[in-house]
Amino acid sequence: MLQQDSNDDTEDVSLFDAEEETTNRPKKSKIRHPVASFFHLFFRVSAIVVYLLCELFSSSFIACMVTIILLLSCDFWAVKNVTGRLMVGLRWWNHIDEDGKSHWVFESRKASAQESKTVSEAESRIFWLGLIACPVLWVIFAFSALFSFRVKWLAVVIMGVVLQGANLYGYIRCKVGSRKNLTNMATSYLGKQFLKQNTGDEQTS
Amino acid sequence: MRSHIREFDSSTLNESVQNTIMRDLKAVGKKFMHVLYPRKSNTLLRDWDLWGPLILCVTLALMLQRSSIDSEKDGGPQFAEVFVIVWFGAVTITLNSKLLGGNISFFQSLCVLGYCILPLTVAMLVCRLVLLAEPGPINFMVRLFVVIVMFAWSIVASTAFLADSQPPNRKALAIYPVFLFYFVISWMILTFTPQ
Repeated sequence: MLQQDSNDDTEDVSLFDAEEETTNRPKKSKIRHPVASFFHLFFRVSAIVVYLLCELFSSSFIACMVTIILLLSCDFWAVKNVTGRLMVGLRWWNHIDEDGKSHWVFESRKASAQESKTVSEAESRIFWLGLIACPVLWVIFAFSALFSFRVKWLAVVIMGVVLQGANLYGYIRCKVGSRKNLTNMATSYLGKQFLKQNTGDEQTS
Repeated sequence: MRSHIREFDSSTLNESVQNTIMRDLKAVGKKFMHVLYPRKSNTLLRDWDLWGPLILCVTLALMLQRSSIDSEKDGGPQFAEVFVIVWFGAVTITLNSKLLGGNISFFQSLCVLGYCILPLTVAMLVCRLVLLAEPGPINFMVRLFVVIVMFAWSIVASTAFLADSQPPNRKALAIYPVFLFYFVISWMILTFTPQ
Protein backbone atom coordinates (compact mmCIF):
# COMPACT_ATOMS: atom_id res chain seq x y z
CA MET A 1 0.00 0.00 0.00
CA LEU A 2 2.28 2.75 -1.20
CA GLN A 3 1.31 6.35 -1.43
CA GLN A 4 2.09 6.35 -5.13
CA ASP A 5 -0.97 4.11 -5.58
CA SER A 6 -3.35 6.96 -4.85
CA ASN A 7 -2.68 8.97 -8.01
CA ASP A 8 -2.34 6.12 -10.46
CA ASP A 9 -4.05 7.61 -13.49
CA THR A 10 -3.45 11.30 -13.16
CA GLU A 11 0.23 11.31 -12.29
CA ASP A 12 1.73 8.97 -14.86
CA VAL A 13 3.41 11.82 -16.66
CA SER A 14 4.30 13.97 -13.68
CA LEU A 15 5.99 11.03 -11.95
CA PHE A 16 8.54 10.86 -14.77
CA ASP A 17 9.16 14.58 -14.35
CA ALA A 18 9.67 14.11 -10.65
CA GLU A 19 12.23 11.42 -11.38
CA GLU A 20 14.19 13.78 -13.61
CA GLU A 21 14.08 16.43 -10.91
CA THR A 22 15.71 14.15 -8.36
CA THR A 23 18.63 13.40 -10.67
CA ASN A 24 19.19 17.08 -11.43
CA ARG A 25 18.98 18.22 -7.83
CA PRO A 26 22.35 18.53 -6.09
CA LYS A 27 23.03 15.65 -3.70
CA LYS A 28 22.38 16.59 -0.12
CA SER A 29 25.23 15.67 2.09
CA LYS A 30 24.43 17.27 5.40
CA ILE A 31 22.86 15.34 8.23
CA ARG A 32 19.46 16.70 9.02
CA HIS A 33 18.64 14.56 12.03
CA PRO A 34 21.85 14.12 14.03
CA VAL A 35 20.08 12.76 17.12
CA ALA A 36 18.22 10.12 15.11
CA SER A 37 21.39 9.13 13.25
CA PHE A 38 23.27 8.85 16.52
CA PHE A 39 20.63 6.66 18.13
CA HIS A 40 20.26 4.53 15.02
CA LEU A 41 23.85 3.44 15.36
CA PHE A 42 24.18 3.71 19.14
CA PHE A 43 21.80 0.91 20.17
CA ARG A 44 23.02 -1.52 17.54
CA VAL A 45 26.69 -0.97 18.08
CA SER A 46 26.44 -1.01 21.88
CA ALA A 47 24.49 -4.30 21.79
CA ILE A 48 27.32 -5.83 19.77
CA VAL A 49 30.00 -4.27 21.98
CA VAL A 50 28.32 -5.52 25.18
CA TYR A 51 28.03 -8.99 23.69
CA LEU A 52 31.72 -9.08 22.80
CA LEU A 53 33.03 -7.54 26.00
CA CYS A 54 30.65 -8.92 28.63
CA GLU A 55 33.07 -11.56 29.80
CA LEU A 56 35.59 -8.85 30.66
CA PHE A 57 33.31 -6.34 32.35
CA SER A 58 30.92 -8.36 34.43
CA SER A 59 30.93 -11.89 35.77
CA SER A 60 27.15 -11.94 35.80
CA PHE A 61 25.73 -13.60 32.72
CA ILE A 62 22.24 -12.42 33.55
CA ALA A 63 23.16 -8.75 33.74
CA CYS A 64 24.79 -8.97 30.32
CA MET A 65 21.87 -10.87 28.84
CA VAL A 66 19.28 -8.42 30.17
CA THR A 67 21.35 -5.44 28.97
CA ILE A 68 21.70 -6.90 25.50
CA ILE A 69 17.98 -7.74 25.35
CA LEU A 70 17.05 -4.21 26.40
CA LEU A 71 19.43 -2.67 23.86
CA LEU A 72 18.13 -4.91 21.08
CA SER A 73 14.52 -4.03 21.89
CA CYS A 74 15.22 -0.30 22.03
CA ASP A 75 17.10 -0.57 18.77
CA PHE A 76 14.24 -2.45 17.11
CA TRP A 77 11.67 0.09 18.21
CA ALA A 78 13.84 3.09 17.34
CA VAL A 79 14.78 1.87 13.89
CA LYS A 80 11.30 0.71 13.01
CA ASN A 81 9.36 3.71 14.28
CA VAL A 82 11.69 6.68 14.31
CA THR A 83 14.94 6.55 12.38
CA GLY A 84 13.50 4.92 9.27
CA ARG A 85 10.85 7.62 9.04
CA LEU A 86 13.20 10.52 9.69
CA MET A 87 16.28 9.41 7.81
CA VAL A 88 14.97 7.73 4.68
CA GLY A 89 11.22 8.30 4.72
CA LEU A 90 10.29 4.62 4.80
CA ARG A 91 8.01 2.79 7.19
CA TRP A 92 6.54 -0.69 7.52
CA TRP A 93 4.01 -2.20 9.87
CA ASN A 94 1.30 -4.79 10.22
CA HIS A 95 -2.33 -3.88 9.93
CA ILE A 96 -5.24 -6.13 10.80
CA ASP A 97 -8.52 -5.26 9.16
CA GLU A 98 -12.04 -5.94 10.33
CA ASP A 99 -12.11 -9.46 8.91
CA GLY A 100 -9.16 -10.44 11.05
CA LYS A 101 -6.78 -10.75 8.13
CA SER A 102 -3.36 -9.30 8.60
CA HIS A 103 -1.73 -7.09 5.99
CA TRP A 104 1.87 -5.99 5.98
CA VAL A 105 2.06 -2.38 4.91
CA PHE A 106 5.24 -1.02 3.35
CA GLU A 107 5.21 2.70 2.93
CA SER A 108 7.59 5.17 1.39
CA ARG A 109 7.41 8.92 1.28
CA LYS A 110 6.71 10.37 -2.18
CA ALA A 111 9.55 12.40 -3.67
CA SER A 112 8.31 15.95 -3.11
CA ALA A 113 9.74 19.30 -3.92
CA GLN A 114 9.76 20.41 -0.28
CA GLU A 115 13.25 21.03 1.11
CA SER A 116 12.58 19.61 4.53
CA LYS A 117 11.23 16.29 3.30
CA THR A 118 13.96 15.13 0.95
CA VAL A 119 16.36 12.39 1.86
CA SER A 120 19.96 13.41 2.42
CA GLU A 121 22.75 11.24 1.02
CA ALA A 122 24.79 11.07 4.19
CA GLU A 123 21.84 10.04 6.34
CA SER A 124 20.78 7.45 3.80
CA ARG A 125 24.28 6.00 3.74
CA ILE A 126 24.48 5.86 7.55
CA PHE A 127 21.04 4.28 7.73
CA TRP A 128 21.66 1.50 5.24
CA LEU A 129 25.17 0.81 6.50
CA GLY A 130 23.94 0.34 10.07
CA LEU A 131 20.93 -1.62 8.90
CA ILE A 132 22.89 -4.15 6.86
CA ALA A 133 26.15 -4.56 8.79
CA CYS A 134 24.70 -5.43 12.18
CA PRO A 135 22.45 -8.38 11.29
CA VAL A 136 25.34 -9.85 9.32
CA LEU A 137 27.49 -9.62 12.46
CA TRP A 138 24.79 -11.26 14.55
CA VAL A 139 24.55 -14.14 12.10
CA ILE A 140 28.31 -14.60 12.38
CA PHE A 141 27.98 -14.58 16.17
CA ALA A 142 25.22 -17.19 15.92
CA PHE A 143 27.47 -19.56 14.00
CA SER A 144 30.37 -18.96 16.33
CA ALA A 145 28.21 -19.58 19.42
CA LEU A 146 26.85 -22.75 17.86
CA PHE A 147 30.20 -24.16 16.85
CA SER A 148 32.08 -23.20 19.98
CA PHE A 149 29.31 -24.72 22.09
CA ARG A 150 28.59 -21.54 24.08
CA VAL A 151 24.96 -22.46 23.82
CA LYS A 152 23.72 -20.27 26.67
CA TRP A 153 24.38 -17.24 24.49
CA LEU A 154 22.41 -18.70 21.63
CA ALA A 155 19.08 -17.37 22.89
CA VAL A 156 20.35 -13.78 22.90
CA VAL A 157 22.11 -14.10 19.58
CA ILE A 158 19.05 -15.59 17.90
CA MET A 159 16.98 -12.73 19.29
CA GLY A 160 19.50 -10.30 17.78
CA VAL A 161 19.34 -12.00 14.40
CA VAL A 162 15.53 -12.08 14.38
CA LEU A 163 14.94 -8.48 15.48
CA GLN A 164 17.56 -6.87 13.30
CA GLY A 165 16.83 -9.18 10.41
CA ALA A 166 13.15 -8.23 10.60
CA ASN A 167 13.97 -4.54 10.31
CA LEU A 168 16.34 -5.21 7.44
CA TYR A 169 13.73 -7.25 5.58
CA GLY A 170 10.99 -4.69 6.21
CA TYR A 171 13.02 -1.76 4.94
CA ILE A 172 14.33 -3.62 1.92
CA ARG A 173 10.75 -4.40 0.99
CA CYS A 174 9.80 -0.75 1.42
CA LYS A 175 12.66 0.29 -0.83
CA VAL A 176 12.23 -2.42 -3.47
CA GLY A 177 8.48 -2.00 -3.36
CA SER A 178 8.64 1.67 -4.23
CA ARG A 179 11.05 1.15 -7.13
CA LYS A 180 9.11 -1.84 -8.41
CA ASN A 181 5.99 0.24 -8.32
CA LEU A 182 7.57 2.84 -10.60
CA THR A 183 8.65 0.26 -13.15
CA ASN A 184 5.26 -1.48 -12.86
CA MET A 185 3.50 1.77 -13.56
CA ALA A 186 5.77 2.46 -16.53
CA THR A 187 5.25 -0.98 -18.02
CA SER A 188 1.49 -0.90 -17.41
CA TYR A 189 1.27 2.53 -19.03
CA LEU A 190 3.21 1.34 -22.07
CA GLY A 191 1.24 -1.89 -22.09
CA LYS A 192 -2.05 0.00 -22.13
CA GLN A 193 -0.86 2.13 -25.05
CA PHE A 194 0.25 -0.97 -26.91
CA LEU A 195 -3.10 -2.70 -26.33
CA LYS A 196 -5.02 0.40 -27.38
CA GLN A 197 -3.13 0.55 -30.64
CA ASN A 198 -3.62 -3.15 -31.30
CA THR A 199 -7.36 -3.20 -30.53
CA GLY A 200 -7.72 -0.04 -32.61
CA ASP A 201 -6.08 -1.88 -35.53
CA GLU A 202 -8.28 -4.93 -35.03
CA GLN A 203 -11.44 -2.85 -35.05
CA THR A 204 -10.57 -1.09 -38.23
CA SER A 205 -9.42 -4.28 -40.04
CA MET B 1 -11.57 1.35 3.64
CA ARG B 2 -8.52 2.04 1.47
CA SER B 3 -8.77 5.80 1.91
CA HIS B 4 -9.07 5.41 5.67
CA ILE B 5 -5.84 3.46 5.75
CA ARG B 6 -4.08 5.97 3.54
CA GLU B 7 -4.98 8.83 5.86
CA PHE B 8 -3.61 6.88 8.77
CA ASP B 9 -0.41 6.28 6.74
CA SER B 10 0.40 9.88 6.00
CA SER B 11 -0.25 11.04 9.53
CA THR B 12 2.06 8.51 11.16
CA LEU B 13 4.87 9.03 8.67
CA ASN B 14 5.32 12.60 9.83
CA GLU B 15 4.42 12.54 13.49
CA SER B 16 6.85 13.56 16.19
CA VAL B 17 8.90 11.05 18.14
CA GLN B 18 7.10 11.88 21.35
CA ASN B 19 3.75 11.05 19.74
CA THR B 20 5.06 7.70 18.63
CA ILE B 21 6.35 6.84 22.09
CA MET B 22 3.13 7.91 23.82
CA ARG B 23 0.99 6.04 21.32
CA ASP B 24 2.90 2.80 21.84
CA LEU B 25 3.00 3.16 25.61
CA LYS B 26 -0.73 3.77 25.75
CA ALA B 27 -1.37 0.71 23.57
CA VAL B 28 0.70 -1.47 25.90
CA GLY B 29 -1.02 -0.06 28.98
CA LYS B 30 -4.47 -0.61 27.49
CA LYS B 31 -3.67 -4.25 26.84
CA PHE B 32 -2.49 -4.78 30.40
CA MET B 33 -5.82 -3.38 31.59
CA HIS B 34 -7.67 -5.74 29.28
CA VAL B 35 -5.88 -8.70 30.77
CA LEU B 36 -6.71 -7.60 34.29
CA TYR B 37 -10.41 -7.18 33.44
CA PRO B 38 -10.99 -9.68 30.66
CA ARG B 39 -13.91 -9.06 28.36
CA LYS B 40 -14.49 -10.23 24.83
CA SER B 41 -13.08 -7.48 22.71
CA ASN B 42 -12.07 -7.71 19.09
CA THR B 43 -10.48 -4.29 18.95
CA LEU B 44 -7.78 -5.35 21.40
CA LEU B 45 -6.56 -8.14 19.18
CA ARG B 46 -6.27 -5.90 16.14
CA ASP B 47 -3.24 -3.89 17.14
CA TRP B 48 -0.96 -6.48 18.58
CA ASP B 49 2.46 -5.77 20.00
CA LEU B 50 5.05 -7.93 21.67
CA TRP B 51 6.44 -5.37 24.15
CA GLY B 52 4.22 -6.55 26.99
CA PRO B 53 5.20 -10.19 26.58
CA LEU B 54 8.87 -9.22 26.44
CA ILE B 55 8.69 -7.18 29.64
CA LEU B 56 6.72 -9.89 31.43
CA CYS B 57 9.05 -12.63 30.26
CA VAL B 58 12.17 -10.76 31.40
CA THR B 59 10.56 -9.92 34.77
CA LEU B 60 9.47 -13.52 35.30
CA ALA B 61 12.88 -14.88 34.34
CA LEU B 62 14.63 -12.42 36.67
CA MET B 63 12.39 -13.38 39.58
CA LEU B 64 12.88 -17.09 38.97
CA GLN B 65 16.61 -16.85 39.68
CA ARG B 66 18.11 -18.89 42.42
CA SER B 67 20.70 -16.94 44.36
CA SER B 68 23.80 -19.06 44.23
CA ILE B 69 26.86 -18.74 46.43
CA ASP B 70 29.11 -19.55 43.52
CA SER B 71 28.99 -16.40 41.44
CA GLU B 72 30.41 -18.03 38.34
CA LYS B 73 27.45 -20.27 37.69
CA ASP B 74 24.90 -17.62 38.46
CA GLY B 75 21.54 -18.85 37.29
CA GLY B 76 22.38 -18.24 33.67
CA PRO B 77 20.87 -21.40 32.25
CA GLN B 78 17.65 -20.93 34.22
CA PHE B 79 17.17 -17.45 32.81
CA ALA B 80 17.53 -18.69 29.27
CA GLU B 81 15.35 -21.68 30.19
CA VAL B 82 12.39 -19.49 31.17
CA PHE B 83 12.78 -17.49 27.99
CA VAL B 84 12.86 -20.59 25.84
CA ILE B 85 9.87 -22.17 27.59
CA VAL B 86 7.72 -19.07 27.27
CA TRP B 87 8.50 -18.22 23.67
CA PHE B 88 8.76 -21.75 22.33
CA GLY B 89 5.56 -22.69 24.14
CA ALA B 90 3.71 -19.68 22.75
CA VAL B 91 4.92 -20.43 19.21
CA THR B 92 3.84 -24.06 19.51
CA ILE B 93 0.36 -23.14 20.73
CA THR B 94 0.01 -20.66 17.89
CA LEU B 95 1.03 -23.25 15.31
CA ASN B 96 -1.40 -25.70 16.85
CA SER B 97 -4.28 -23.28 16.67
CA LYS B 98 -3.46 -22.35 13.09
CA LEU B 99 -3.28 -26.01 12.08
CA LEU B 100 -6.69 -26.54 13.65
CA GLY B 101 -8.08 -23.94 11.29
CA GLY B 102 -8.22 -20.92 13.53
CA ASN B 103 -8.39 -17.55 11.83
CA ILE B 104 -6.11 -15.63 14.11
CA SER B 105 -2.78 -14.38 12.88
CA PHE B 106 0.53 -15.66 14.22
CA PHE B 107 1.56 -12.49 16.01
CA GLN B 108 -1.89 -11.83 17.45
CA SER B 109 -1.85 -15.19 19.16
CA LEU B 110 1.67 -14.63 20.51
CA CYS B 111 0.52 -11.24 21.78
CA VAL B 112 -2.49 -12.64 23.66
CA LEU B 113 -0.56 -15.53 25.19
CA GLY B 114 2.25 -13.25 26.25
CA TYR B 115 0.04 -10.62 27.82
CA CYS B 116 -1.94 -13.25 29.73
CA ILE B 117 1.21 -14.20 31.63
CA LEU B 118 0.60 -11.03 33.68
CA PRO B 119 -1.43 -12.74 36.45
CA LEU B 120 1.24 -15.41 36.82
CA THR B 121 3.94 -12.75 37.06
CA VAL B 122 1.96 -11.14 39.88
CA ALA B 123 1.71 -14.59 41.49
CA MET B 124 5.50 -14.92 41.25
CA LEU B 125 5.94 -11.58 42.96
CA VAL B 126 3.58 -12.56 45.76
CA CYS B 127 5.31 -15.94 46.16
CA ARG B 128 8.70 -14.31 46.47
CA LEU B 129 7.37 -12.01 49.18
CA VAL B 130 5.70 -14.90 51.01
CA LEU B 131 8.96 -16.90 50.85
CA LEU B 132 10.67 -14.18 52.89
CA ALA B 133 8.61 -15.38 55.86
CA GLU B 134 9.42 -18.65 57.63
CA PRO B 135 8.94 -21.84 55.63
CA GLY B 136 6.24 -24.30 56.59
CA PRO B 137 2.96 -25.83 55.46
CA ILE B 138 1.04 -22.55 55.86
CA ASN B 139 3.59 -20.84 53.64
CA PHE B 140 3.05 -23.51 51.04
CA MET B 141 -0.75 -23.35 51.26
CA VAL B 142 -0.75 -19.59 50.75
CA ARG B 143 1.49 -19.88 47.71
CA LEU B 144 -0.58 -22.74 46.32
CA PHE B 145 -3.76 -20.73 46.68
CA VAL B 146 -2.29 -17.64 45.02
CA VAL B 147 -0.84 -19.64 42.14
CA ILE B 148 -4.10 -21.49 41.52
CA VAL B 149 -6.12 -18.27 41.48
CA MET B 150 -3.72 -16.55 39.10
CA PHE B 151 -3.53 -19.63 36.89
CA ALA B 152 -7.32 -19.64 36.57
CA TRP B 153 -7.25 -15.89 35.82
CA SER B 154 -4.70 -16.41 33.04
CA ILE B 155 -6.76 -19.16 31.48
CA VAL B 156 -9.96 -17.11 31.62
CA ALA B 157 -8.24 -14.07 30.13
CA SER B 158 -6.64 -15.96 27.26
CA THR B 159 -9.74 -17.97 26.39
CA ALA B 160 -11.79 -14.78 26.33
CA PHE B 161 -9.62 -13.64 23.43
CA LEU B 162 -8.65 -16.85 21.72
CA ALA B 163 -11.78 -18.98 21.86
CA ASP B 164 -13.67 -16.93 19.28
CA SER B 165 -11.11 -17.53 16.61
CA GLN B 166 -11.69 -21.28 16.56
CA PRO B 167 -14.55 -23.18 14.91
CA PRO B 168 -16.95 -24.35 17.66
CA ASN B 169 -16.17 -28.06 17.54
CA ARG B 170 -12.45 -27.44 17.89
CA LYS B 171 -12.47 -25.09 20.85
CA ALA B 172 -11.38 -27.68 23.41
CA LEU B 173 -8.59 -28.93 21.16
CA ALA B 174 -7.26 -25.42 20.79
CA ILE B 175 -7.61 -24.46 24.46
CA TYR B 176 -5.97 -27.44 26.13
CA PRO B 177 -2.39 -26.54 25.02
CA VAL B 178 -2.96 -23.10 26.53
CA PHE B 179 -3.93 -24.87 29.74
CA LEU B 180 -0.72 -26.94 29.60
CA PHE B 181 1.40 -23.87 28.87
CA TYR B 182 0.17 -21.91 31.87
CA PHE B 183 0.30 -25.05 33.99
CA VAL B 184 4.03 -25.47 33.26
CA ILE B 185 4.68 -21.84 34.15
CA SER B 186 2.60 -22.13 37.35
CA TRP B 187 4.53 -25.26 38.26
CA MET B 188 7.83 -23.43 37.85
CA ILE B 189 6.51 -20.66 40.07
CA LEU B 190 5.14 -22.98 42.74
CA THR B 191 8.23 -25.16 43.00
CA PHE B 192 10.60 -22.21 43.15
CA THR B 193 12.85 -22.03 46.20
CA PRO B 194 15.47 -19.31 46.62
CA GLN B 195 18.24 -21.69 47.66
